[in-house]
Amino acid sequence: MGDRAEAAGRFGFLRGRILEALIRYGFMVLSALVLFAIILLIAGKDPIQSYRDILTSTLGSAYGLSEVLVAMTPMLLTALAVALPSRIVLINVGVEGQLYMGACLATWGALTFSGLPAWILLPWMIVLGMIGGSLWAFIPGLLRALGLVNETITTLLLNSVAPMIVSFFVFGFWHSPMDTNKTPNFVPAARLPTLFGTRIDVSLLLALALLLIFWLLTRYTRWGLEMRAIGGNPQAALRNGIPVKGYVIAAMCVGGAIAGLAGMAQVSGFYGVLLANFSRGTGYMGFLISWLAGGDPLGIVLTSFVVAVITTGGNLLQLTRDLPYAVINILLAFTLFVVLARPSLRRRRRTA
Amino acid sequence: MKSRPVFVLLALFAAATLLIAGCAQAAAPTAAPAEPTSPPAPQPTAVPPEEPTAEPEAEGPCLIIGALHGGPITDAGYNQAMHEGVMAIKANIPCVEIIEAENVPEEAGATSTMENMIQQGATLIIATAFNHQYPALELSQKYPEVTFEHAGGWEMGANFANFFGEPPDTWYMMGVAAGLMTESNQLGFVAAFPLGWTLTFINAFELGAQSVNPEAQTVVTYTFSWGDAAKEADATNSLINQGADVITMHVDSPATVISTAESRGVYSIGFQSLAAQQFAPEFWVSGIGYTLGDTLTWLSSTVMDGTWEPIFLRCGIADGCMAMAPFGPQVPQEVQDQVGQSRAAIEAGEIVVFSGPVVDQEGTVRVAEGEVLTADVMGSVDWFVEGVIGSPK
Amino acid sequence: MTLLSILGVLSSAIFSGTSLLYTTLGEIIDQRSGTVNLGLEGVLLVSASAGFALTSITGQPYLGLLLAMLAGGLMNLVMGYLTVTRRANQLASGLALMFFGFGLSAWIGRPYVGAKINGLPRIALPGISNLPVLYASLFRFDLLIYLAVPAAVLVWWLLFRTRWGLGLRAVGESADIAFASGRNPRRIRYQALFAGGLLAGLGAAHLSIAYAMNWTEYMTAGRGFIAVALVIFSKWHPLRAIGGALLFSGAVAFQLLLQSSGFQISPFLLSTIPYVVTILVLVLWGGTRRHSAPASLGRVYQGSE
Repeated sequence: MGDRAEAAGRFGFLRGRILEALIRYGFMVLSALVLFAIILLIAGKDPIQSYRDILTSTLGSAYGLSEVLVAMTPMLLTALAVALPSRIVLINVGVEGQLYMGACLATWGALTFSGLPAWILLPWMIVLGMIGGSLWAFIPGLLRALGLVNETITTLLLNSVAPMIVSFFVFGFWHSPMDTNKTPNFVPAARLPTLFGTRIDVSLLLALALLLIFWLLTRYTRWGLEMRAIGGNPQAALRNGIPVKGYVIAAMCVGGAIAGLAGMAQVSGFYGVLLANFSRGTGYMGFLISWLAGGDPLGIVLTSFVVAVITTGGNLLQLTRDLPYAVINILLAFTLFVVLARPSLRRRRRTA
Repeated sequence: MKSRPVFVLLALFAAATLLIAGCAQAAAPTAAPAEPTSPPAPQPTAVPPEEPTAEPEAEGPCLIIGALHGGPITDAGYNQAMHEGVMAIKANIPCVEIIEAENVPEEAGATSTMENMIQQGATLIIATAFNHQYPALELSQKYPEVTFEHAGGWEMGANFANFFGEPPDTWYMMGVAAGLMTESNQLGFVAAFPLGWTLTFINAFELGAQSVNPEAQTVVTYTFSWGDAAKEADATNSLINQGADVITMHVDSPATVISTAESRGVYSIGFQSLAAQQFAPEFWVSGIGYTLGDTLTWLSSTVMDGTWEPIFLRCGIADGCMAMAPFGPQVPQEVQDQVGQSRAAIEAGEIVVFSGPVVDQEGTVRVAEGEVLTADVMGSVDWFVEGVIGSPK
Repeated sequence: MTLLSILGVLSSAIFSGTSLLYTTLGEIIDQRSGTVNLGLEGVLLVSASAGFALTSITGQPYLGLLLAMLAGGLMNLVMGYLTVTRRANQLASGLALMFFGFGLSAWIGRPYVGAKINGLPRIALPGISNLPVLYASLFRFDLLIYLAVPAAVLVWWLLFRTRWGLGLRAVGESADIAFASGRNPRRIRYQALFAGGLLAGLGAAHLSIAYAMNWTEYMTAGRGFIAVALVIFSKWHPLRAIGGALLFSGAVAFQLLLQSSGFQISPFLLSTIPYVVTILVLVLWGGTRRHSAPASLGRVYQGSE
């Protein structure tokens, strides 16, 4: 009897919290929508119609939904690439660069081994992609583990170097007179298979699987426990025999590997060719998603979905409302702003 | 735990969706679905291009066209020229409806734009950017009832074809003008990529210059981007610093190159669009632009009356697909006459730009005496003629 | 390789490096007060598009310049609101600002793509016009270029010779201690951000109004991130930023010169050199030790008010 009463009490408390969260976050969603509606009005466009366009073009049709999932896939991977190192308080802003290097190495595989059948070539390309991204994250990881340079700075700098290395290859060894800023198209064996005739490729399944593994890892394994210990108090962890340096390097490398996989999926699954400067902020978007979701796998999935809906909806908006596609970034930014502007409410005020 | 609020966020979005989607069912759809009936269209002859007479008013658009551009349509360059060509369709055939998208991303990024256009009822897709070729080709296999026209490529399919102007001849003419106007015998060429067609244009330009000025040389610099204004300014300044006094380019928009040349007091020759002249009121020599309005109108009318066939369409200055800009105020009459003469000679067939012998930078004979470089080879050229300074790779 | 071409490299480096220098100076001020602004790319884009738009409308490039400055300041104030008042994570706020800039600049600039403007007028120093035309045109600079080095000196003076600068740097080292000694860290960070934004706006204006005289989406092509790297490269010191900006932009001009002299260095590999050098500099001279980064860089000030 006592238990039931206790449970009921707890449930009531929970219900109160849910209501509170609902109101707060409902308000946030509404604020973002209203702010963007103001922009639309200034531009002379009908906001209601525009939102309707966004929703019907994304969630209102099977094609729209498939496009949302296509857009979501790289976000899942890049967010995970940030989330994993963040478990031990490593700030991996370098996903953009790791993505490029993964794509680069995977492209090398695609172009060099184009004679191989898909069931050998594709796994090989996946491995190459992960190696590429991992190597690019290894350098900042090592420098951080040795206490030399903060990984935030090094990953940021390397972000700018990676696209240039990619361009070097695209316009150098991998170039032909028929190509502009791209390599020759990948052979069909080098392309990730798609699902059900849509553009969704198997990397979506890979991404979800990796997120699940990540969740299990941090929750139920010794590694997860040790990472949480490091994240909480690195000195104490070190004194308890946890190899912090090893974890730093490993976490960065694994994060980089996942980012490299995202890059490989982009060139093999989505594009089918390596395009110079093919990523416009995908890596940074992953950082934002991971940060918004608090590094939590379920949160990453949901946040990625919301962001993907917004960016995909912009595609139709430019046709029906005659707005440049880039304007959808404003709605994205407003959504981010309102969430960013909240944290102080949740943090406890330091008593004087 | 931060995932819960995001969960709530999603729940709210979903609720909003259902609400608004519900309202959407009641209201009229945002774009009228196409009824691509074929009203009685005037029958153009099989030879391109011809100006069809105006359409009688029909219910709903007689044809919905989706046009996509890789860059902005007001760029005073390639995209503007293509845009004006597309708009000419509407001017000639008023019952046509045009859905246009600019700054459409490259390669697979373009697919969703085209899909959306098709879902809005487009039955003719005009993909004007070079890198839209393969996405358009893939979609053409998915939608056999939609016609796809791509500008400047080479692929063909049952419902996929190609159209473009014929720049090399016009480049030769511009080379003649440049060769006569230059005093330093150095001509500057700002190129985007070492693309086969770009090399062909440069070669034609140099051959034209050499025909009137054997000592003329063309220096080439690459920006590795179709439209990076800062790099174009860098490249132009660099060429001028190396002594070039006539500048031309193959990038999407000539605006920055020409403005920079003008600010340094150097001659410029435009490309892509005739609108480029406004950037060089003083030192403009001449320019070439694409004027594909009539061609596109003819193609659209064949789609409407069902006579469309996949043709590898190329037409030059004689057919009206390309046009030469007026000469600038500093161009002397003798130069204008000379250019006119070479134009007449080309049109009459007396001059064939790439007829042998043509020797490359290393001295290898690329086109033997008595032979001619054909159009299908021009797109995969990877060498420069003698007199061009720069790397073809 | 003639004298003209070598001087040309210098001239090109100065021309394209000016916008980079202003932007870097702005970011130095911000980072010295403890704020990392990854949204600089967005700030530059909005300033460039706004300045270009006004110049196109009014035909007055100086008016466009002023608007660009203001736009930069305002964008940075948004950053301030998020990181100072709402105490949000600096990296996330900056990136959100970057995306905001992508969208806002595209929207503002769209009607003005391909417009012809009168760029900032170029003034020749007396004596220059006596040189042959090609040489003279190398060194006819616009106002912003002439003011670039003075601006760097001004920033140095502000940071290291004024009380305001002292307070700013104190906040950058430790906001809590600065607060304890009677300063208002929040206000100082806001001021730093606004000043930094004004300078960034100048940099952006130079790009769109004076140098390229054009506007297209994403025109700044990564200059925001180059500036962040440059700040680190110049070790947060305004005068060193001059050399850094010249180096970063000179590499481009130098590579262009080499292209037509027969040397084949990939422009891409050459452009990576500044970044690699920066990392080496950090490794050798300490990225986490004193005399380098402001100690409080990136930390959100919680405060006890």
